[in-house]
Order: sequence, then C-alpha cells, then structure tokens
Amino acid sequence: MTHAADLADRITEIVGPRGVLRRPGELVVYRSDGLPGYSKQPRLAVFPRTRDELVAVVRLLAEQSVPFVPRGAGTGLSGGALADDVVLVGLNRLTRILSIDPVERLAVVEPGVVNVALTRAATPYGLHYAPDPSSQAACTIGGNVAENAGGPHCLKYGVTLNHVRAVTAILPDGEIVRLGSAEGEVDGYDLLGAFIGSEGCFGIALDVTVRLSPNPQAIRTLLADFTSVDAAARATSEIIASGIVPAALEMMDGATIRAVEASIYAAGYPVDAEAILLIELDGLEAGLEADVARIERMCAAAGARSVRIARDESERARLWQGRKKAFGAMGRVSSHLVVQDAVIPRTRLPDVLAAIREIAERQRITVCNVFHAGDGNLHPNIGYDANNPDEQARVHAAMREIMSACVAAGGTITGEHGVGLDKLDYMSLIFSEDSLAAMCRLREVFDPDHRANPGKVVPVHSCREWHGAPKAAWTA
Amino acid sequence: MARRTEGSVDRMTVPVSAASSPAAMQTASGSTAPSSPPLRPTTTAEVREIVGDAIANKTPVRIVGRGTWLNAGRPVEATRQVSLDALTGIVDYTPGDLTLTARAGTTLAEIARATAEHGQWLALAPWGGDAGSLGATAATATAGPMSGALGTPRDMVIGIEAVTGSGQVVRGGGRVVKNVAGFDLTRLMVGAWGTLGILTEVSVRLRGLPEQEATLALPLPNAPAALADVVARLRSAPIAPLAIEMVSATLAARLGLGQQPVVIARLAGNADAVSGQRVALGVIGDVMEVPDEVWTTVRTADPVEATVVRFSSTVARFPELWLAAERLATAGDGHVHATVLRSSARVVLPHNEDAPTDAALDLLRGASRDTRIFERLPRALWPVLAPTRAADRLSQGVRSAFDAHRLLNRGILGETHA
Repeated sequence: MTHAADLADRITEIVGPRGVLRRPGELVVYRSDGLPGYSKQPRLAVFPRTRDELVAVVRLLAEQSVPFVPRGAGTGLSGGALADDVVLVGLNRLTRILSIDPVERLAVVEPGVVNVALTRAATPYGLHYAPDPSSQAACTIGGNVAENAGGPHCLKYGVTLNHVRAVTAILPDGEIVRLGSAEGEVDGYDLLGAFIGSEGCFGIALDVTVRLSPNPQAIRTLLADFTSVDAAARATSEIIASGIVPAALEMMDGATIRAVEASIYAAGYPVDAEAILLIELDGLEAGLEADVARIERMCAAAGARSVRIARDESERARLWQGRKKAFGAMGRVSSHLVVQDAVIPRTRLPDVLAAIREIAERQRITVCNVFHAGDGNLHPNIGYDANNPDEQARVHAAMREIMSACVAAGGTITGEHGVGLDKLDYMSLIFSEDSLAAMCRLREVFDPDHRANPGKVVPVHSCREWHGAPKAAWTA
Repeated sequence: MARRTEGSVDRMTVPVSAASSPAAMQTASGSTAPSSPPLRPTTTAEVREIVGDAIANKTPVRIVGRGTWLNAGRPVEATRQVSLDALTGIVDYTPGDLTLTARAGTTLAEIARATAEHGQWLALAPWGGDAGSLGATAATATAGPMSGALGTPRDMVIGIEAVTGSGQVVRGGGRVVKNVAGFDLTRLMVGAWGTLGILTEVSVRLRGLPEQEATLALPLPNAPAALADVVARLRSAPIAPLAIEMVSATLAARLGLGQQPVVIARLAGNADAVSGQRVALGVIGDVMEVPDEVWTTVRTADPVEATVVRFSSTVARFPELWLAAERLATAGDGHVHATVLRSSARVVLPHNEDAPTDAALDLLRGASRDTRIFERLPRALWPVLAPTRAADRLSQGVRSAFDAHRLLNRGILGETHA
C-alpha cells in the first residue's frame, strides 16, 4: 500500500516543496497533453531540478512500486504523457546544456532542454540540431527522444534516431545505464535504437548526446502555388522520384492556407490557392541553382500557377512561421482540433488525399491538411466542437476511416507523434499479435512491471504473460 | 602463438537427431549428418518450421546468408546450418516511393541491378562487395565508405520480418520512410547478428543515383601536424562528398594511385555541384582524377583470410588513430583505410600461421582509448581478443526475450567465452 500523503512527503524531502504538486486543482494542466480528448488524473507531479534529485525520485518510486509517467513539455500529440493515478515526473526543469563540442560536433544535454534552445546555443559555432518538430519552440530533447520526433527538415536530415549518439538512462528499477557511444559505433545490440521512440516506457534519459549539423552554405525556399491538391500531390511525387532530396517539402491545403492567412501568423500565402508546396533546397552554393530550376520546371509541369523564391532570410522565416504555426492558426476555425499523423508511400499521395476528401464529405467534417509531403507523412487535422456529441462521433468515425485508408495504401499509423493512447486501437491494423507480443517482451526487458508510462504503445491484451497494468495501491 | 592452444569453439560437427518437419526433410533431404548440406528454406513458413524443429530438439542453428563472410571465423556453436540463399527475390519495389522490400537472401547485386534501371540505388556499398545478401548486411549492420555521409544500415533499413528464436514471425517498421509505430524491433534486429531472429525480409530506403560523379585523389602527408591539417581542411571544405576515404600506401599501390598514402573523395551531384567541389578540393592539394572503380576495389580489397579490426575515434584523435593504424598495418603486412567522416579506421591484416605477430596482437589489444570492433579474426583469436558483445543485463534480457534457448548463432556475440 502506498499512502499518497506519505509518498508526497518523501518526494518533497528530495525535491523541496516547490518541486511537488499534490492538489487536484494544481494538477489540472497535467491531465492532458497537446492532443485534446484525453484526460487522466495523476496523483502527484514532481519536478526535479537536478540529475541527483531525478535519480532519487525514480529510485523511491521503484522502492514503493509506484507507476510513473515521464513528461517533457507536454506538447505531445498522442495522449502519451498522461495516466491516471501515477506520479508524473516532469523533466522540464532539467534544462542544462552540459557541453557543446564544435570540433566533434556533439552536444550533451539534460532531457528538459528545449529543442530550439539547443540550436540557439549551437549557432555561434555555425551548427544546429537538425530535427525540428513544429513545436520546437517548446518541446524538449528528452521528449523528442521518447517520441523519436521528426519535423519538416527530417526529409533530408533524418529523424531524432539519426541524430542521437548516446543516452544515459535511468531504468524504472533505478539502475543507470549507458546506451550507445559518443564515437558512434557500438558492437552489440542497438539498445539505444530501441530506447529512442519508446515513449517513456523504457526509462528516463538523464542526459542525451546528440550530433550537431553544420549550417548549409546556401538555402533556397520556394513557394509553389496550385489550384488543386491533386496537382500539388503529383508535383511532390515527381520531385521525390527525380532523386533530388529537398531539405523540406511541405504541403498545405486551401483550408489551412486561409486559416493561417487570417491569423497573426499570416505568411503571404495565396489565399485563393487550393494547395501550396513549401520546398526548401539547401547545401552547397555550387549546383543549387540548377536544382532550383529543375524543381521549378517540375512544379510548372504539374500545374503550378507560380513558383516564388524567398528573397531573403526574413521572407524565408515568414514562410516557415506560417507553416509551423498552422496548428495554432486552426484554433480560429473551431474550438477543438484533432491532429492526425500517418505515413503513406509517396506515390500514393494523390489517391489517399482524394480518399480523405471523400471521407470528410461523407462524414460532414472539415479536414485541413498540412503535412510533410516529401516523407508521405500526412497530418489531416479535424476541427470540431467537443460539446457536440454527434459531431464528435463523426470525427471519430472519420479518423478511423482515414487511418484504414492509409494502412490500405501500404502506410503506417504514426510517423512522428507516437502511439500513446490515441493510436493504441490502430496497432493491430499493422502488426500481428506475435509482433505485438514481441514488442511487449522487449518492453519487459527494460520495465518488467510496466510501471513506466503504463498502458501505452502496445495494447494490454497483446502482452500474453502479463496481467494488467499495475494499479498503485493508493490509500488516501 | 601460445594462445592458440585455447582451441576452437566451433563445434559445427556435432550430429543431431533427424529433422522431423516436412520443410526440413524437403530442403535438406532429411540428412543431419555433419556433412549434410545446409537447410535451404524458400519461404518464411519454412524458416519458421526449421526454428520450430530447433526448439523441439534443442539444437542450435547457424544462419548463413550467401555464405560470403563465413571466413569471419566468428565462433558459432551449431548442429545445422540454415542458408538463406534460396529465400530470394524483390517483394515490392515502386520506384516513385524510393523504397524496396526484398527477401533476406537477395544479393546486393540484384538490388543494384533492379534499382539502377530506374536511376536509383541502395546507397550503402558495404565492405565485401555486392555478392553478399541484404539480410546479412542488415543482420551484421555492415556499412562502407559512404557511411559517414549517408549512414549505415541502422539509418537505411525501414522494416524487417524475422522468425525469432521462439519461432514467431514478427515484423518491425514497415515500407514507409518515417515510422514510429510500436517499439523498434527493426533497430533491435539490425546488427544483432541473427541472434534475436532469422531475418526473412528487409525493407530499405533508396536514393536517386547522382547525375554525375567524380573521384579525386590527394596525397597524404606523413608528418602528424601536416596530416591533421589536411584532415581538418577536408572536413571544413565546401564539399558534400559521398565518401572521403584515406588509404595506406600498400592499398594506394593496389589502386594504382602511387606508392604513398592518399585520400580519395567521391563527389556527386549535378554538373555544377561536381565542378564546384572539384575546385574546392584543388585548394587543399594536388588533386588527381581517378576512375570511380577504385571504390569497388577498396570495398573488396580484403584477402580471403584476414584479420579485420575497425577502430572508431573522435574527430580530435582521428589523425593520431590513422598513424597508429598505419603502423599496425605495416607491422602485419596489411593495409588500412579510414572513413574520415566517421573518424574510423579499418585495419586489414592477411593472416597465416605466423600472423598477426605478437607485436601486432599487442597493438590490437592495446591501451588505445578508441573503440575496437573486430570484424574478422582467426578462429582461435576470438576468445583471446574479442570482448563479449552482449554481456550486460539488458542485452542478456533482450536475447532471452527473443531466443530463450540461445539457438540462433550461439556464440557469435562472444557469449560462449564470456
């Protein structure tokens, strides 16, 4: 039996009174993450300020067999960093950049370092941290590791997995392990690869060693403007098939464009377009213009009305701001927003986008598409009113149909947001029971009791030899 | 050498009871004598039956791709071989998606042929040439000179199908280039040397072939300070090469590049990009245009019997590592080449009864702070030199979770001589 007040007192001894929240009212913000629709009530929230405090907290929770949920900035979009009756371990006060080595192009950071803060710190050395989720102004490196986060520029530069060299992690039982190596080569199982993207179920990163990338010599940002989504999708397929790898290739549909242009993030997108492509090419100055010219020709051949090239850094920043804040801009359209995440083979873009349009019409809902077209990573967003049960039911049905269409096209159910709670029901669409059971066994190597972020990623019924999530035996 | 007396740990000669499954009978004529041919499954279902038999009889199996690397000498205790050379064929290839899925035994050469028709390639070019299989390349995570720029199998494999040591067919990842659905069985299986599952299918991401390529060679100075300067300038030059590989004098001679160490750079891109990079390299030293075929030669330069050790270092220590590796190669009558963008050096020593010498052995074992990865060793040296790769609690746990009876490639990670 865990006495909630006793545990809170013991945690307070470790982190001090300002590092613990225990009253339900104080915990309200920690009931959900960036995705509306899920609400779970933690018992306590604890915010260690140092590695030693974090280690002591995790070991205390291990000793008491208490389940916990690690949480970065809470910007996740899968209902991942929340659970009922757990201790929520907030990592956003562990914000030290421990080292930046410009020669090795490596940085070592604590888990709560904000993504963009790392790039800012690397800027004086002509370096940056490549993975750039849209939430990069708020999300943390620890959260990025947990989710294997992506972002627009992952098309050319790869996702979090491709940029993390090593992690020092504390396992749920309190043991500290080193995964990977700063030199980059490890002989043996890729436990680091398994840890990245494990959604907080394998433990908590105490520090993360990441690669920093040199800033490109030259950048060109193009805005191509189309009168149909289909034409933009065809242009995307052409560009990808050409072998040119843009740094980023993003699509926004008409509904998204108009939401952005009506907001404070207005970027100068053509409001009468039905789709735009934001295409960025970077690399060496030599040869870049030739690639830009080829992309312009491909866009024109697919039916682009115009292709505009950002004249300077401020215009480029403005074009990107509209893209990265598109989710925020949609807040103007409706009170609630579901941000979906699926990936399809890139040749299937035109027909899957058409299928999504058909589903939206049939279910009488509004879908806004703003997504990483170059990766085939769709983000159909559905605005709705959660207080309207009929609309909510139609949204739910539409989401399932969209997921099924993506899977039927040979795709997957999440490209960068993670499974969390939101995609649990879809896991069996793409994985057999044997595969899910294997994933469950892998989890149990790191967390035999399922105490770390219980109930996420793999549906409980797939864990054959394991019987139910641990319920902390709380007493009031 | 005295240490050889520790004896071989390869026990590929122990007979087992007759294989009982139809698949085993069919693929191996029911024979299980030591000289019996390997089992040659043609489908995932047959692989599963073979593993099922191994579980039932508690008989360990050795997994073989195309059999091109067996002389790596890694100690494996097994009563049967499973060869995947009949589990071949491209399962799915839509050029516009730049992804490809093939059965594990498919050769890299076949993949290169199929993709080149559409102006694409699997941009991996691992050591050992294209006769090896996709499955073995993934299972051993073998990369090549381009790994510093374009990544390793860890970065390129997007999905796998495997039969685990418990006989279950599992899939990780998928056929799309971005995927975070589920715990990452793909990353776990890549580089696991078959000890968690027999890979039956592998999906990879492809790239477009460059419009143009050029390979340039630059002589490398011997003096440490001058060498460090060249390496630093290569790293900061306005170039985006597919590979920058340093080769020792002995290897340079084989490549027809003279009698001194050189660095070769593989430039790619459109015409403007290649000519711009050519100019940028010319600023560093006297460049010499060389045929692109040198890359094939570098990849396949290992003698049939060899000791191969890969050292990986930091950027700061890399010039020092190179010089030490050169000394080691010279002492052992071998060669060394180094991937600048990974700060790693690969030492190749031909071995015969007298080599490597005790001096070379001391260096191999040495006190260097660099990571040492043994790719190939004489059989008897594995227990002497190579550390157990999976001795920690998590690795042991992973092994138990996927192959509880240690039936798959038992010993290949050094665990039998831990």
